[in-house]
Amino acid sequence: MKAPPRAFIGPVMRKEVRQIRRDTRSLVFMLLLPAFLLIVFGLALNFDIKHVPLAVVDLEGSRLSRGLVEKFRTTEYFDVKATLDRTGDIDDLMAREKIKAALVIPPTFSEDLLAGRSPSVQFLLDGANAMSGTTAAGYAAAILQSYAQRTTLEALERRGAGGATLPLATQVRVWYNPELKSARFLLPGLMAFILMVILTTSTAFSIVREKERGTMEQLAVSPLPASALIVGKLVPYVLISLASAHLVLGLGGVLFGVGVKGSYLLLLLGMVLFLVAGLGQGLLISAVTRTQQVAFLLSVLTTILPTFILSGFVFPIRNMPAVVQAVTYLVPARHFLVVLRSVILKGAGLPAFWEQMLLLAAFAASTLALSVVMLRRGEGRGPRRRAGRAA
Amino acid sequence: MPEPSIVVRSLTKRFGGFTAVDAVSFDVRRGAIFGFLGANGAGKSTTIRMLCGLLDPTSGTATVGGFDVGREPERIKRVIGYMSQKFSLYEDLTVLENIRFFGGVYGLPSKVLQARLPWVLELAGLNGRERSLTRTLSAGWKQRLALGCAVLHEPEIVFLDEPTGGVDPASRRRFWELINGLSERGVTVFVTTHYLDEAEYCNDIRLIHAGRIVAGGGPRELKAEIIRHPILEVATDRPVDALEVLRREPWVLETSIFGAALHVGVADEAEGRRLILARLAREGIVPDRVDRIVPSLEDVFIRKIEEQA
Amino acid sequence: MKAILSILRKEFLQLRRDPKLFPVIFLSPVLQLLLLGYAANLDVKNVPSVVCDMDRSAASRRLIDEYLNSGTFTVAARVERLAEIDRYLDNGRAAMALVIPRGFGGDVAAGRTASMMLIADGSESQSASIGVSYGTMIAARHNQRLILERLELVRGLGPAPVLVEAEVRVWYNPELRSRNFMVPGVLGLILMIMTTVLASIGIVREREAGTMEQLIVTPIRPVQLIGGKLLPFVVIGLIDATFVIAVARGLFGVPVRGSVPLLFGLSLAFMLNTLGVGLFVSTISRTQQQAMLTSLFFILPQIMLSGFVFPIENMPKLFQAVTTVVPLRYFFVIIRGIMLKGAGWRHLWPQAAALLVLGTLILTLSVARFQKKLD
Repeated sequence: MKAPPRAFIGPVMRKEVRQIRRDTRSLVFMLLLPAFLLIVFGLALNFDIKHVPLAVVDLEGSRLSRGLVEKFRTTEYFDVKATLDRTGDIDDLMAREKIKAALVIPPTFSEDLLAGRSPSVQFLLDGANAMSGTTAAGYAAAILQSYAQRTTLEALERRGAGGATLPLATQVRVWYNPELKSARFLLPGLMAFILMVILTTSTAFSIVREKERGTMEQLAVSPLPASALIVGKLVPYVLISLASAHLVLGLGGVLFGVGVKGSYLLLLLGMVLFLVAGLGQGLLISAVTRTQQVAFLLSVLTTILPTFILSGFVFPIRNMPAVVQAVTYLVPARHFLVVLRSVILKGAGLPAFWEQMLLLAAFAASTLALSVVMLRRGEGRGPRRRAGRAA
Repeated sequence: MPEPSIVVRSLTKRFGGFTAVDAVSFDVRRGAIFGFLGANGAGKSTTIRMLCGLLDPTSGTATVGGFDVGREPERIKRVIGYMSQKFSLYEDLTVLENIRFFGGVYGLPSKVLQARLPWVLELAGLNGRERSLTRTLSAGWKQRLALGCAVLHEPEIVFLDEPTGGVDPASRRRFWELINGLSERGVTVFVTTHYLDEAEYCNDIRLIHAGRIVAGGGPRELKAEIIRHPILEVATDRPVDALEVLRREPWVLETSIFGAALHVGVADEAEGRRLILARLAREGIVPDRVDRIVPSLEDVFIRKIEEQA
Repeated sequence: MKAILSILRKEFLQLRRDPKLFPVIFLSPVLQLLLLGYAANLDVKNVPSVVCDMDRSAASRRLIDEYLNSGTFTVAARVERLAEIDRYLDNGRAAMALVIPRGFGGDVAAGRTASMMLIADGSESQSASIGVSYGTMIAARHNQRLILERLELVRGLGPAPVLVEAEVRVWYNPELRSRNFMVPGVLGLILMIMTTVLASIGIVREREAGTMEQLIVTPIRPVQLIGGKLLPFVVIGLIDATFVIAVARGLFGVPVRGSVPLLFGLSLAFMLNTLGVGLFVSTISRTQQQAMLTSLFFILPQIMLSGFVFPIENMPKLFQAVTTVVPLRYFFVIIRGIMLKGAGWRHLWPQAAALLVLGTLILTLSVARFQKKLD
């Protein structure tokens, strides 16, 4: 009688656990690296664009022009790094990245202003970084506008017309993140990013290492079914990464004040699905490669940049071309990010993200199934076999 | 008398609290086949690795080819060839590529390398398989290729660490012929093995046990020196029972099992034969034969280890 | 010299023997660049918004038109009541909401302060903050217009007020395309990942396979061994760089305004660092798995602290100090400088010097740590 696959899972698992325990450094990295990275990134990074280094070229030097410069000096959005006499010097400073923007006030500024002509103030911008460039231009426009508004209101008042009230008041409410705190933006994205990279790399070795060392051949001639091998290898890593993910989650709450607003159980479910998806991606890589070198390169290349850029962490997915948007469905972090934001920040329930849960489950299931198929096909099962075919 | 190739004095290596090699001393004559015998874990590989400059000794000194292992390990590397216990050529290179690679690493001029190539291929018996990937070769071939790569640069001294492990008997015999050939050309061969029968091929032997040298000499002297009493081989289908009975008799000097036979040391050959037959008959054991044999090195070895314990 | 050549030759032969390595090394950078070049788009356009007009007056319609005609926002839904907005923001179908309360038109007509409300989904990174700032700008412009209109009524007293609007000139990247910024970044990242990973594994791999033992007993010098092992990765790095630059220029139209030889020369200086780190990792690792996890420990913080996406000047002072030892930081200034700004040696020598100093340090440290011993 043939034993059912699950009878083999136990021995494989025990072997994996023992091997993981022997390699203390790798275990420590799997457990603690995500937490370490979250602390560093959480403290270091933010999306705010402030303190844009600015050069000021005030070609007039009048009371009015100095008033305008003062406005740029007192805002935290700009840091006046240089005061120049000639516009010609801007070029060099910008090429050396000393400044990112320059404000040029023409020699006719007050004259124009008093004569009722619009003065031609120039704002020169290092557009290389479009993101911070756009934002800086926005700040500059806002400062100039408020400067103009004030002079206008002053003029109005002098004429006794209407008084100094603004006709339109705008209230801004930011939901889920009232203070627009960067940590709240960042943490879910960072969590998904860090976990994904570590998850995939931790399992990317598990099978290919056995191929390289030749132990896979031994397993291949045993009655051990491929599915049991995959599950047995998966389970210990799920447990380790679950611990690591909770550590990250706890840090988010304690250190950065981003607590879980919604249902923990739903989050746990989403997390398990995501972890299995990430580990599954690693296992699949491991099953189709022959050397650890290739496995590692693949796992790094398929996680770092795609998770960073295609998950919606930094770049809004709706801005991407349709083809690329379709590809983002293959990035588990994209779905997990929606789950995280919904549960942690919005406190939303399953209706808001059930599709993402399904997609995560589908990704996890298909990577695992594919890994089993690849192993059965003996894809690079041992180097010997491949070589035999090649010769 | 020429200076010895290798001089070892009180060489010691500790790993943490464990002493792998304990104050070992010996000389190796130029052109000798020097056998370093012992069980797995006795300290053979550690000694060889210290002599090749792979490990630093904890204490003691050694010179190889006149160079000190502690101070001039890099000069030693120019005069030695080394073949490790584990196959350590590149499995993903072909036979020819491996040979060329090691030729280059040893800095052989291409003309010399070109001239040595056929010799190595001949030695390894790999003519016609030059372009095979190394991983597709069988163990015996791999060993011969590894030996070929180790002697490519015509070293004065060759270190072979368990060269015949995992190789079939026919290949082992061929391999020892190769080693003999090297020795005849004046190369000093330092070889470790745990196959005691292979020690017969050596002209100088040290037995190492638990990091210490327990006996040494040529195979013949060693046997003569240590085993002074006759050894009788008792062939029987019940060797274990026979052993149990005989080891309790006061006139039996030593016993051990070799396959289906029993080796029994006695003071006198004729008297011993009579006593054995009589004692075994009482147990209902009738040996197929009882012969006097020349003691093998295994007998020597077992004897020495028993003495130590 | 001969010894180095032998190692070099052997490395290339081994690279060729692994049929899956080639596509990974040479194809994947291009693939990555393609995907990311199209995806990396921060331009905030078409932010889906919920419009909640409770006033339904001419004044409110005028404001809403202005809002929608700006090109930044599109209508995801029009709703009547505030409570309905939740639904759209919760599941992410809208990222912003514009609310105009009842009485808006009346206030405007009467010269009182009329109020409106902007709601943003604060959970989704920058869209929210950029959306909010665009929204408030539209409101401010509207304000200005209302003021000027009011002023029309009392014309003729004193100097006329004016609009002060800056003439914005964008250098290097006039259309403010995010791609122009991200694509050179991808080049730096790929160069770093490839070379660090390959170098970190190169030596550990030989240790694991036992072949290192055979190399150590040869008279080869550590510098020769390391040189021979690392040079192929330099070649790979340069080939990757060539591919990436070709695609960036040919397909995405990212300019290369400066000197290409300078770019390649400084890439070499950068690779001193990445290979040095890789080598360092391999001297402190016993297995390939350890080497890989350890190299992640070096790679990931470098990516984040290099200014790849997150500007360094926004980091806390402490972390700004940390970034001074991040080689990638200097390399980003170099690639972006050469490609987008046409910067030359005159501008970039401080970065080049930093790369050389850091690279020499880490490489020397690693070579010193590398010993021809087993334990």
